[in-house]
Amino acid sequence: MTLAHYLTLSGLLFLIGIFGALTRRNIIGILMSIELVFNAANINLAAFNHFRHPGGVAGQAVALFFITIAAAEVVVGLALVLAIYRNTDTVYVEEFSLLKG
Amino acid sequence: MVEHAYLIPLLPFLVSLVILFFFDEDAHSPYAPYLGIATMFWCLVQSLVIFHQASSGAVHPWPYEGSWEWFSFAADSAGKGFSAAMPIGILIDGAAAVMLVVVTLVSLLVQVYSLGYMHGDPRFKRYYAYLSFFTASMLGLVVSNNLLVTFACWELVGVSSYLLIGFWFEKPAPAYASKKAFMTTKLGDCGLYVALLLIWAKFGSFKISMLAVSAATPGVLTPLAATAIGLGILCGAAGKSAQWPLFIWLPDAMEGPTPVSALIHAATMVAAGIYLVAKTYFIYAASPVAMEAVAWIGLITALLAATMALVAYDIKRVLAFSTVSQLGFMLCALGCGGYTAGLFHLTTHAFFKALLFLGAGSVIHSVHTNDMRQMGGLSKKMPVTFGTMFVATLAIAGIWPFAGYFSKDMILERVYGHNQVMFGLLTFAALLTAFYMFRMIFLTFVGDDRDHERHHHAHESPWVMLWPLCLLAFLSVVSGAALAHNGFFEHLVNYKLPEGLMTETLAPRLMPYAVTALVCGSIALSWFFYGRNDFTLAESLKARCSPIFSVLENRYGFDAIFLSLVAFSDRIAKFAFWFDSSVIDQFFVDGWGLITRICAELSGLFDNLFVDRTVDGFGGLSMDAGVLLRSLVTHGQVQEYLMYIAVAVSLFTILILSR
Repeated sequence: MTLAHYLTLSGLLFLIGIFGALTRRNIIGILMSIELVFNAANINLAAFNHFRHPGGVAGQAVALFFITIAAAEVVVGLALVLAIYRNTDTVYVEEFSLLKG
Repeated sequence: MVEHAYLIPLLPFLVSLVILFFFDEDAHSPYAPYLGIATMFWCLVQSLVIFHQASSGAVHPWPYEGSWEWFSFAADSAGKGFSAAMPIGILIDGAAAVMLVVVTLVSLLVQVYSLGYMHGDPRFKRYYAYLSFFTASMLGLVVSNNLLVTFACWELVGVSSYLLIGFWFEKPAPAYASKKAFMTTKLGDCGLYVALLLIWAKFGSFKISMLAVSAATPGVLTPLAATAIGLGILCGAAGKSAQWPLFIWLPDAMEGPTPVSALIHAATMVAAGIYLVAKTYFIYAASPVAMEAVAWIGLITALLAATMALVAYDIKRVLAFSTVSQLGFMLCALGCGGYTAGLFHLTTHAFFKALLFLGAGSVIHSVHTNDMRQMGGLSKKMPVTFGTMFVATLAIAGIWPFAGYFSKDMILERVYGHNQVMFGLLTFAALLTAFYMFRMIFLTFVGDDRDHERHHHAHESPWVMLWPLCLLAFLSVVSGAALAHNGFFEHLVNYKLPEGLMTETLAPRLMPYAVTALVCGSIALSWFFYGRNDFTLAESLKARCSPIFSVLENRYGFDAIFLSLVAFSDRIAKFAFWFDSSVIDQFFVDGWGLITRICAELSGLFDNLFVDRTVDGFGGLSMDAGVLLRSLVTHGQVQEYLMYIAVAVSLFTILILSR
């Protein structure tokens, strides 16, 4: 197991996350895909910490902070989803075009 | 009292203001004349005291000068700054002492006489205010020690003569005459003004005593400058003293009240020119050319005016021409170096000319006409007027022992020593004087009455008018002999001529007798023509020489010349107005305005079409671009935006990685 394996894993996760975010119709799905992108970044942090600075803990610590922040962010995101759902009775993003100029 | 001589002009001036502003106009102001007369009497007493002091040599130093600082100012000459002081003060020399007496005396008598003559005039008090003002201006001119103040008084004399000649301004003729007098004298004053400028440039002072000292210092006054200054002053004097060619105003000035004419002719106005030449005599002493010009102007005037008097029928005009002629005598004398003779004649002439005018006024008052053709035979009706005027006529003709004999003799003697051609011409003018003066006497007082109606109503004037005549007649008899006695006048005036002007040629001892004999012949000729109550000879002469008569009656056409000059300047003014309004205004000013407007229009057009459109174009361009770009992305789909971001980030990533 080398750094490249980890980086490949995180790259795949990132791409899957982006792909999901761009293609899912369900807003919950998009949130889940963004969580995947987050976790790709966290894997990167932990992997670089382990292989470049063995014995250091800064990477893991920042990854832990990120997980916490991601949890908070999901709370906000799900609250928004709930608000949207209550207002429009739908969770499909193509039916929102409030940003249309 | 010489220290307080400044009061002599100041007091009548104040009195004139008081009369003018504090007395009633309508109520016939019974006190206004008496205030003026009392003031003038006081001035006369003061003047007599000064005269006495001057003649007895009681004043030291002589001539007396009292000077105060008037104002001072910073001046700049040839790059050097200095402070120039302008003094104001009095300068009493022999000539001034004599003039003071003459002016105050004549003015006093004229004012007394006017009590009768102007009785009942609606502007009685104003008349007295003007008389006082007139006299005050002349007295100021006489006593001033500063040429600038003299000039100011000179102009005040002009103003007051304007006011008095045009006193009856409701009538067109006096209004015209006053305007003419004022403007003609102003024409002369231009020369005087230039002379004053030159004096300041040359000497840097207007103080007469200082100027006299500087002018006598060799090297200060070049002959050229002296000539220019002298001619300028002569120009002013010719205007004021009615000398050729500016004499045209004086005959018209007869439109004023007759006592005013007496004042103008004897004391105040026309004497000013002669007196100014005498006052600045040191300038003429430095310039033989100016001196000669003075003499010739005087001579020409004396001759021309005397010939014009020969044909006049207006009694006052005869006297006016005679004044012009006599002033010519004085100027001629001054020009020939006869300072004393000129001033002497000025003095004696003042007495008998005032008398003649007041007498003529008495006649006019009595018969209500100026035309001598409607008079005749008045001697029986008006014996006192006739007697006094006869005395004056003898005096002006120059018969011994009347005043005119002495002064005219002195002039002729001086002119003989200077130039014998001049002497001949001037003697001829003197003969003409005798002729026309006796013509006037004969036409007015002798013979049959030609207008019975007027003659019937003629009456002797009241005594308030007659006793000034008597006093003046007395002076016309004795003043010449008294002043000439033992060279009294010469000693009093005491002007030391420079060496060059002293003439050694003495007139022959028989000269006065010869001239007197000729004058008597001239009087006899006058009697032959006009005194025998038979005018056929005069009429036939007039018929035979009618061209000459008409030339003389038209005053040699000088009026026409001046009128054409006025018309010419009028035309120049009209042309200038046309040029100004249609060329300068319409072409240059308006044209420039038009060009500016066109430029502004063009600039506005450029601004609107080019600059603004460019700005608008950029704005429109960015707006269009915005609209275009918006149309690409305006579906409001979050995933679309996200895809753009992802594509862009991946493109940048590829770009960065591939470097």
